[in-house]
Amino acid sequence: MFRRNRNHVETGFPPPRPDTDPAALVTVAVGLRDVTRTYGDDPNPVRALDNVSMSFASRTFTAVMGASGSGKSTLLQSAAGLDAPTSGSVTLGGTDLGSLSENKLTELRRADVGFVFQGFNLLPSLTVLQNVQLPLRLAGKRPDRRRAEAMLDSVGLSGLGGRRPAQLSGGQQQRVAIARALIADPEVIFADEPTGALDPTTAHEILGLLRRAVDQLGATVVMVTHDPVAASFADRVVFLDGGSIAGQLDHPDAATVARRLSELVTRSQGVAS
Amino acid sequence: MNGLARASIRFRPASFIGTFVALLAASIVAMACGSLLQTGLTARVEPVRYADAPIVVSADQFARRVVTSAGDREEIAGVLPEGARIDASLAATILAVPGVADAMPDLAVELIGDDIGALTGRDWSAREIDHAARTALVDGDAPGPDDVVLDAQTARSSRLAVGDMVAVTAPDGVHEFRVSGIVAERTATASDGPSASTASAWFADGVAPSLAGAPGRADAIAVFTNDGTDIGDVKDELSNLLGPDGKVHTGSARGELEAPNLPTAKELLIGLGGSFGGVATFASIFVVIATIALAISQRGREIALLRAIGATPRQIRRMVASEAVLVAPLAGAAGILPGLLLARWWFSQLIDRGAVPHGVQMSTGFIPAGAAVGAGLLAALTGGYAASRRPARTPPSQALGDAAVERRSLGRVRRVFGIVAIGGGVVLSIFSYQLDGGSAAITSILVVMIFLIAVALLGPAISRAATAVLGLPLRRGSASSSLAAANSGANSRRLASAITPIALVIGSSGVLLFIQSTVADATRADIRNGLVADYVITSDGPGLPATTAARAAEVPGVDSAVGVLRSDVLYNGFEEFEAADAIGVTGDLSQLDEVLDLGVTQGSLADVGDTTVALDHLLAQGLEADLGDTVDLRLGDGTKHSPRVVAIYDHGLGLGQVVLPYDLLAGHVRAAYEAEVLVAQTGGAETTTVADGLRALDIPGATVTDRDGYAARVDKDLELEAWTSRVMASVFGGFAAITAINTLVMVVFDRRREVALLRLTGTTRRQVQAMFRWEAAIVAITGIGLGVVIAGVTLNGFARGATGGSPYVPPLQGLGIVAGAAIIAFGAMALPARTLMRRPPKAGGE
Repeated sequence: MFRRNRNHVETGFPPPRPDTDPAALVTVAVGLRDVTRTYGDDPNPVRALDNVSMSFASRTFTAVMGASGSGKSTLLQSAAGLDAPTSGSVTLGGTDLGSLSENKLTELRRADVGFVFQGFNLLPSLTVLQNVQLPLRLAGKRPDRRRAEAMLDSVGLSGLGGRRPAQLSGGQQQRVAIARALIADPEVIFADEPTGALDPTTAHEILGLLRRAVDQLGATVVMVTHDPVAASFADRVVFLDGGSIAGQLDHPDAATVARRLSELVTRSQGVAS
Repeated sequence: MNGLARASIRFRPASFIGTFVALLAASIVAMACGSLLQTGLTARVEPVRYADAPIVVSADQFARRVVTSAGDREEIAGVLPEGARIDASLAATILAVPGVADAMPDLAVELIGDDIGALTGRDWSAREIDHAARTALVDGDAPGPDDVVLDAQTARSSRLAVGDMVAVTAPDGVHEFRVSGIVAERTATASDGPSASTASAWFADGVAPSLAGAPGRADAIAVFTNDGTDIGDVKDELSNLLGPDGKVHTGSARGELEAPNLPTAKELLIGLGGSFGGVATFASIFVVIATIALAISQRGREIALLRAIGATPRQIRRMVASEAVLVAPLAGAAGILPGLLLARWWFSQLIDRGAVPHGVQMSTGFIPAGAAVGAGLLAALTGGYAASRRPARTPPSQALGDAAVERRSLGRVRRVFGIVAIGGGVVLSIFSYQLDGGSAAITSILVVMIFLIAVALLGPAISRAATAVLGLPLRRGSASSSLAAANSGANSRRLASAITPIALVIGSSGVLLFIQSTVADATRADIRNGLVADYVITSDGPGLPATTAARAAEVPGVDSAVGVLRSDVLYNGFEEFEAADAIGVTGDLSQLDEVLDLGVTQGSLADVGDTTVALDHLLAQGLEADLGDTVDLRLGDGTKHSPRVVAIYDHGLGLGQVVLPYDLLAGHVRAAYEAEVLVAQTGGAETTTVADGLRALDIPGATVTDRDGYAARVDKDLELEAWTSRVMASVFGGFAAITAINTLVMVVFDRRREVALLRLTGTTRRQVQAMFRWEAAIVAITGIGLGVVIAGVTLNGFARGATGGSPYVPPLQGLGIVAGAAIIAFGAMALPARTLMRRPPKAGGE
């Protein structure tokens, strides 16, 4: 298992050097290099991400935090290959996403990436089991029923495979989404506010599942969240502000995260005023 | 991937109901029109009178001409309005052919018997064509030159017996005959239908043709063969022998001679099924594509999710295509039975109204059913493919975040094609007048469709403009009205998909109805302006004998009486023969304006003679003929006639578009009865006395009316056309209405989340409903406005060419269509909105 660096780095983040360090090549699951993403028209573009470089090591759980509009969702989408950066490069499992066609990108996403969103995660017309099998079916593989059922067992939904999403609670739906994200044995799982619409107890269970995915299945999890408690499940928290990295925190606990977050908000308000 | 599509349909059928309904409506229209088309193509009438004669020879019943277009030589045939007769002496030639046992000329003449009514006269020897038992004498003897033999039923009901005298009216006047014998039964023909047959009269050989004014001629020659002779051989032999002088018919082709309006009926059915059905199917494909596009755009979130978890664009397109393949055949199949019922009703009405002869069976089956299902499938695939292109290509992140936000800009391709479509519609609307009423309806509806494609392409821009204008007062109003304005402004695409079908309802039904009312109104105006006679004698039967005018002229108080002979003549239209209503009048043409003021603008009617003609200005314009030009006509029996134009006049509609010499026209009609006699009284004559005097003439079947009576009769003649256009308007308008309701309901139900959100944030039910009503008002006003403009431009183009005036819209009908469209807009938005609010407000709400 990956040994976490317990040194406290206040600002800045060493750019990944996959070319020079063979060890880094193996351990870096997702790398962003000088990534900038702007939206809108020429006269007044919005810089959602401003020259961001960072890497997510294999078998780690990273939480990305920041105020609304800090660019955290954009970071997630760029890292996941859902959205192409305006400039800079993204590597996923050693592959440069910028060089891929839309079809190749989709195939890569199918094989190496799993997604958990805040809402509208499941196809309402499919059963729970079919939803879990969907990535395999999209990849043209024969859906393995036993494997999908085992996956449902592991997220605590034994025997619910025949139900439809509408018959499940919000927390159960999110468990299905996690089972679906894990079914293809992906390199990285991206989660966008996975507990945003859940009560604290249910949220706790969902986060525990993500933690277990890292510890027991060896997955890499990148999660965007607002919630300091959710962030405390991660190995590391990365703070974003105005499209740039504003710091990070290893082995976070909820209280520290909350403090750092409020400092960040105060500071950016101070800058603004 | 197929499993995904199947699951979508099975477990979320609601999202496919819209597509299903559009496809179902399309299938019903395609099935109904396809059945009429197949019936038109295969229609035949089994012979009744000629059932026992294996071969029947007649003259060619079609005018023919060869046109060369783009190097293709194509023969064009037009049904002869009066039919053509054949030289009866050919019977002798035919009899000489080996294998022929007998050849009997047959000619039927329509007569009017005193106390009998309509009577069909034939020569005595022709009775052998029919069953011998039916025409066997039950009393008396065979007819001599001054005798008639009647059937038993007629003799009984008219209380006539052998030895009685009976007055028979023929085109040339009244003849007295002595009843010499009675035969067992009436003789029927295929066109008589199951219930009715006319009274039969049998004359000495040669009398019937001379009563018809066609001595030595025959309608047909029935040919009997020796036992064991091959019919095909004889037929070939006869065809070679007769060449262009005679057409040889066997099998069910013989029935066509008995039901002379069969080819016209076939043309009508092919026109309804093929042309109208084609345009309607085209429109339904257009609607299906638009509906599917709407349905797909409403599933943006689902497609985005699939893209995010690894579905390729290709897989998305295949999913949409698979759904189409699953839904379309179901909808298509469901439409077959209602389509068949619609076709049956339509067809039986056409028979009842005499537009299709009795004995024609409706023909339908796998071909129209397959076409209905196939057209739906094709439309669904095209629509699905076109609609899935954009969502399949959109980056999944963008789709996931922005599924609720519309793209604002209109693609350049869309804008260019939209403007091209408007231009094409305007140009086509100007040229549509070159066609006659029937095909003008088809062309005009095509013009409407082209305009609607423009509306569909430019829809978002149009609805943005409409909301900008209509939104001004709304924004200043209540919370509901300003919400409605904001929604409409932000969702111009959604609004456009609601506006287009409303415009389709108005445009299509308006054009189909008001083309006919425009023609009818112009006809009434011409009659009002042109008919100056004080009385009109018309006939309920085949017509008035030629002696009527002379007798009317002798009635005290009558200044002049003019007999009018009517017959259709053919002229060369665009790739087909068109018919025009020609008249020949008795007496001095220069005196015609005492009873009939045609409004001559150039030349003089007095110059009309054997080599000259007078034309209505619209027909002259259509033929591009000026004074002094020669026009190519075919008279009623197909005789070519190329007279020089010596007069052009204004009031031809309903009165007569071509004026030819009376004698010339009379020589080329089936029976030279006059259609009416126009009577002018002397100044100061007592009105009732003159009318009574005319009635006292006691001409069989005649009715004496005034000008209004004449106009009413012409209206009755136009009734079939009026009815046909009403049915077409109902079918098309009904289809458009269904799709409009469908689209609006889809649009409203898609806003479940939005309504839930509004309710959560404290909007009352009343306010939400008011908001939907305001939006419905924007949709209704814009859609109706567009529809009225489209129908107006199209009708104006038609009216300028076809009647030389402006379109006429009966106020009640016009208001009715507008009100109907408004009811659709309000009903289809307000009612589903109400059901949306029946559920308690809930966040998320998938």
